[in-house]
Amino acid sequence: MLRDANDLLHGTLDVLVLKTLSWAPMHGYSIARWIEERTRNELAIVDAALYKALHRLEADGAVAAEWGLSDNNRRAKYYSITTRGRQLLRADAATWRRYATAVARVLEAT
Amino acid sequence: MSLFPPGIRRALRLPSSAERLTRELDDEVRFHLEARMSDLMSQGWSEAAARDEALRRFGDADDLRTYCQTIEVPQMRRMRFHEWWEGWLQDVRFGARQLSRSPGFFLVAALTLGLGIGASTSIFSVVRGVLLRPLPYPDADRIVQVWQLGAKGGQNQMSDRNFDDLRARSRSFAAMAEMVPSGPVTVSGIAEPVRTRASVVMGEFFDVLGVRPMMGRLFEPAELRENGTPAVLISYGFWQQSLGGAPDAVGRTMTFNNTAFTIVGIMPPSVRYPVDAELWIPRELSPKFESRTAHNFQVLARLAPGVSVEQASREVTDIARQLKTELGDQTNMVDVALVPLREQLVGGTRSTLLMLLAGSGVLLLIACANVVNLLIARMAGRQAEIALRAALGAGRARLAQQCLAESIILATAAAAFGIAFTFAGVKLLLMLQPGNLPRIQEVAIDGQVLGYAIAIAAFAAVVMGLLTAWRGGAGALRESLSQSQRTQGGNLSSERVRRGLVVAQVALAVVLLVAAGLFARSFAKVLGVDPGFGMEHRVVVDVSPGNGGPETARMYDELLARFRAIPGVLNAGGANVVPLGGGSTSNGTFLIMRSLDEPLRMEDVERLQRTPERIGSAEFRLASPGYFEAMGIKPERGRLFEERDVESAPHVAVISASLAKTRWPDENPIGKVIQFGNMDGNLTPFTIVGVVGDVRESSLASPPRPTFYASYRQRNRGTWRFNFVLSTAQDPTTIVNAARRVVRDVRPDMPPRIRTMETLVSASVADRRFILTLVGVFGAAALVLAALGIYSVISYLVAQRARELSIRVALGAQRGDVLRMVLRQGLWLAATGIVVGAVASYYATRLFESMLYGVTATDPAAFGVVMAGLAVVALVASWMPARRAARAQAMEVLRS
Repeated sequence: MLRDANDLLHGTLDVLVLKTLSWAPMHGYSIARWIEERTRNELAIVDAALYKALHRLEADGAVAAEWGLSDNNRRAKYYSITTRGRQLLRADAATWRRYATAVARVLEAT
Repeated sequence: MSLFPPGIRRALRLPSSAERLTRELDDEVRFHLEARMSDLMSQGWSEAAARDEALRRFGDADDLRTYCQTIEVPQMRRMRFHEWWEGWLQDVRFGARQLSRSPGFFLVAALTLGLGIGASTSIFSVVRGVLLRPLPYPDADRIVQVWQLGAKGGQNQMSDRNFDDLRARSRSFAAMAEMVPSGPVTVSGIAEPVRTRASVVMGEFFDVLGVRPMMGRLFEPAELRENGTPAVLISYGFWQQSLGGAPDAVGRTMTFNNTAFTIVGIMPPSVRYPVDAELWIPRELSPKFESRTAHNFQVLARLAPGVSVEQASREVTDIARQLKTELGDQTNMVDVALVPLREQLVGGTRSTLLMLLAGSGVLLLIACANVVNLLIARMAGRQAEIALRAALGAGRARLAQQCLAESIILATAAAAFGIAFTFAGVKLLLMLQPGNLPRIQEVAIDGQVLGYAIAIAAFAAVVMGLLTAWRGGAGALRESLSQSQRTQGGNLSSERVRRGLVVAQVALAVVLLVAAGLFARSFAKVLGVDPGFGMEHRVVVDVSPGNGGPETARMYDELLARFRAIPGVLNAGGANVVPLGGGSTSNGTFLIMRSLDEPLRMEDVERLQRTPERIGSAEFRLASPGYFEAMGIKPERGRLFEERDVESAPHVAVISASLAKTRWPDENPIGKVIQFGNMDGNLTPFTIVGVVGDVRESSLASPPRPTFYASYRQRNRGTWRFNFVLSTAQDPTTIVNAARRVVRDVRPDMPPRIRTMETLVSASVADRRFILTLVGVFGAAALVLAALGIYSVISYLVAQRARELSIRVALGAQRGDVLRMVLRQGLWLAATGIVVGAVASYYATRLFESMLYGVTATDPAAFGVVMAGLAVVALVASWMPARRAARAQAMEVLRS
């Protein structure tokens, strides 16, 4: 699979978001927190980019959104992964693993 | 109610949707920032620091907003279209289910509408073929016919000299040619002698049309001069039918007019001009006529590139004025008119066809009104369902969309029926058409005709859907919500619309029926006219040997003798033109002489022609002894042609009563001497020996013209075509074969055309019959639909008021009272419609007054009969349900 740099970045976030949502439906902020915790904040993703990814995935039909109430009773937009999203996640995850392995192999060889 | 179903409205309301998207995104971002801040503050950050940190971590919110807009707005549009489309599909499916539940209703409605569409489309296909389809020549709108105009404005053919001058002086034309319209010729020298139609045209004629032969070539210079090589171009049809499509046809010779012509080319199938031409022969073969008043030629011209009809008209007008100034009395041309060829060909039929199209449109409207009426009634019966749908959240707009969906299904079926009817209708029209409709071979069902059917079906669907939704749907909804328990339902406003529709139907039917009545009266008047000759028990034998002269006259003598010998033939005679039989008419100015031996020199002619008391004008005809007797033309004074009137005897003439009356009002015309040599080049004067009754020659509806008859035995130049009339006491068809045998025995190479006088009469009124038939059929259909409309509304009314009516009866009302009450309702509707229709007809019928004969456009009889007839029909249509109401048993109704 050929991807340009931009695609790579989008793809990275998309796969992270989908992976996150595969655990449970969440609103944007908890997704951000979840990813920060799992990556120990090393990716330093700007929140705006995360929301771009969410809206892109929503338009794509990979996630569905619905307004609901948060833990502290505030109106929040909750995202959940769709069947299409799960398919996408499986495919992208496999690609990413191959990709990471390939990059790692190059770096180790040097 | 908005015109658009909700889906469309939402899809169009994009700006506000984009706004909503932005607002939602802002809410989402605000929530995110606040959540982040509260997390940070719980870790000990100050509020200000937390806000800065949250904003920093969020990044560019404006960029996010733009990004979301670009991906989500089109997405939303797609989704809403999808939703809208799904809604429609669902409505159509639902509508189809609804309609399939009452197949009878569906079939009746679709057939009614289909008939309207079929009628209108059939007429349109004729209009398209005849009026709209372009002529089959390149840049056909550049071709004009050229007419010379006289001082009184009369349009006339051109003389050679005028044509030559016009052609030499004008700059506006790329090509210009004389032509003589097609006339009958008898062709021999091919497999079998055949009567066909030949046109005489100049070589340039084909440049004017812009056509070339599909095989062979055009005329060559050797064929385009006086006494040149006789050559002929033949039509594709003639090639196929008379030469069997032989590949070696070009180069063969065939004989007509006593001359052998070589076939030099075959024209493509589209070329049939002048009308019905099968053969074209060069005009240049025969000498030019020196007289400027020998108006023998029609002229066709092609405008030069860049010259408009107006510019060319101005130029030819100027030339005509110059010529008049230079030539004075030598020419009677004062102006020249250019008429575009298409106008020339179809101008005469335009008003008829458009009137028929309008008539079919009125019928379509009536059919639509009928179907809407049925739909509204049906909606009222579906109140429960509609109330349920409304309760479940369907808005008025959604219900309207449902109505529209149903009428679309209905119109689709109607369009299918309509197209099927069109195929039958066009066939029927081609069968009924009077035979003189120009370009009838262009009539075909093509994409545009089908498009027309679909367009009017779509229009009907929208109108019906909206009307039904407006009154049926919305009304029923309101009604059902407020008083859903009332049994039969119905409500005031939808009732008013239904009554309005019935009134409109009746009014439109009146218009069609009055038109039909007027045409029927005209038709009867035309047939009832005294034509001045016998219309029955006669056979007309039309022969065209091609050239006249003493020999031809002798052949006619022999034919006449043999015709008279046929058993059953009472009288036989002939004339070059017989009433309704066609032929080449000629008319002109004659001189009245003082005596048989008054000398006549050329200069005298010119002087006498300017002396009113010495001239007269008349149709010039040749006739045989026995002609007037055979034709049933009444002798009035003096004697008729006799056997003693031979060429060497003094030349005698018989004149018609109208000529006697107009030229010699106070004198006895018998014995007057007349010089009419300008008609046939024979300067022997005539003595008038008899007066006969007037005849209507060109059609039953045209008044008789003053006519002058000479005997063919004395003046035999114009005998190249002749019609013999055989009268008999028995069925005329019994002598047709004997007559044909006689002609075959005398001249085997001259196949005659034999028709009974009844056939000629029938053909002469064919176009009147065509119009009458169509308008009559439209009128009858309109009457049936209007009667159905009244019946259904009154039935519905009765059903609705059944309870009330039966209570009245129970309380002592007489059945007669109930009957009268219901009848009054029906008649009131009908009366309103009839009055409205009569007023509309009063204005509409004037548009076709010129097509009527013997009746005015406001003929009281036609109006009266139609109005009374419709009132009777309305009475019957409302009487049936009224009687039902009166008979109903109170207890049954109340229990039910």
